[in-house]
Amino acid sequence: MKSKVLGAIWLLALMSVIGVAATPPRTNTSTEPVVRNSAEAETMRLEGEKRFRANCGRCHAAPQKFPPRMMATILRHMRVRATITDEDMRLVLFYMTQ
Amino acid sequence: MSCGLSAPEFRAATRRTLILRGGKTLFLLAFLFATQVLAQTTDRPVPILTGTAGYFNFVTAGQNQLDAQINPVVLLPLGDRWLVESRAEFEGAFQRPPGGGSYGGMVSKNLDYAQADYIADRFVTVTVGRFLTPFGIFNERLYPIWIRSLQQDPLILPLSAQSSDGMMLRGGFPANSRANFNYAAYVSAISTAHNNLQSNRDVGGRMGVFLPGPRIEFGGSWQKLLQNQRTNSFGFHFAWQPTRIPLNLHSEYARSNAGSGYWVDGAYRFSQVVFWQKAMRHLEFAARAEQFFNGQISPDEAEALGLPGANTREGEFGLNYYLRDGLKLVGSYGRQFSYAGNFNLWTTGIAYRFALPLGRVEQ
Repeated sequence: MKSKVLGAIWLLALMSVIGVAATPPRTNTSTEPVVRNSAEAETMRLEGEKRFRANCGRCHAAPQKFPPRMMATILRHMRVRATITDEDMRLVLFYMTQ
Repeated sequence: MSCGLSAPEFRAATRRTLILRGGKTLFLLAFLFATQVLAQTTDRPVPILTGTAGYFNFVTAGQNQLDAQINPVVLLPLGDRWLVESRAEFEGAFQRPPGGGSYGGMVSKNLDYAQADYIADRFVTVTVGRFLTPFGIFNERLYPIWIRSLQQDPLILPLSAQSSDGMMLRGGFPANSRANFNYAAYVSAISTAHNNLQSNRDVGGRMGVFLPGPRIEFGGSWQKLLQNQRTNSFGFHFAWQPTRIPLNLHSEYARSNAGSGYWVDGAYRFSQVVFWQKAMRHLEFAARAEQFFNGQISPDEAEALGLPGANTREGEFGLNYYLRDGLKLVGSYGRQFSYAGNFNLWTTGIAYRFALPLGRVEQ
């Protein structure tokens, strides 16, 4: 009986963690910025390049561009490691995936 | 009962079988659920195996040391807000014994960090597990061999290069249109169970300001040991990347009962040189000046911590040639001055950064 209870708790905890990780947030916390037209995209690209040079250059030389799914992971890592802002992360990701 | 079991034994065996089957079913359900989640998230960040590998030849006071190392980093993003990340360090340092003979030495293994990060909102990220102690900037951000401009460690690095086992809050956000504020605050528990997982019981934090316009960053760190000794440590850091010239300046100061000191490090990329541009833009000149002052511990204790046993000054300069992104050849010369003796430091080697996706990268 004890094993069943422990198993159920373990499963509940596991599903909660996965559920929390998978639940779409109420606000737009996706790493993909919303772009309405090409002029806005160009503005964001230029701003992204500016933020890229300012933030990434704090520690290392400008890295190459990786595929978008890799860039999303790298930017999340850098957001934590280098404490870059949420806005900078989104704009740099936009620039690096164009 | 036909197999010779008594009634209670039979009931117990049946219960065990049911629990086992139940466990398998639950595992299967969890696996199916996880598969469903992964199937829905094909446009999301992909797990990555990255890290550095390098081979160096350090000649210190005429003594040659061959150093080979690989430092893998695993990045595992989960959903929109989680990141599980870990870095290990495998380093072989081989020397000839005094009097001659073949090279020999130890291969050291270290778990630098194994942490789970939860991005709660745009102000706070919660980190639990084993993490790099946020003291100064070298330990957390400039330590990897593909990033550092000179491969010799700064003299004061042992004052700040630690890992902590506990919990940390950190984040960065704009204070106004011209300045970003960043912070980290942590508590750490003592851990002596394993050589590779040691940590102190302490609290501390770091605060910094980054000015994106002039690209200037500055801040301070503090740490209080909560063991038999209740000592305080503090430090300051400064970084500047001028917008007009390809120069990268970093500096740190640290003070604790074990000692104090500073380093100033500059790296200039020859990308604006007007001759041999194709080759020169890959070349970087780096230099560092640093000083260490003894603290309130004995020279033997200082050396056990990796610090110099006497007041020390050091100057070093070198060249890095970037063959391509993440791959560079390095060479440097330095000289150390102290009461214990003056000597030369020569370094040559190669540093490489790799990054491999652990899944499909196409959308």
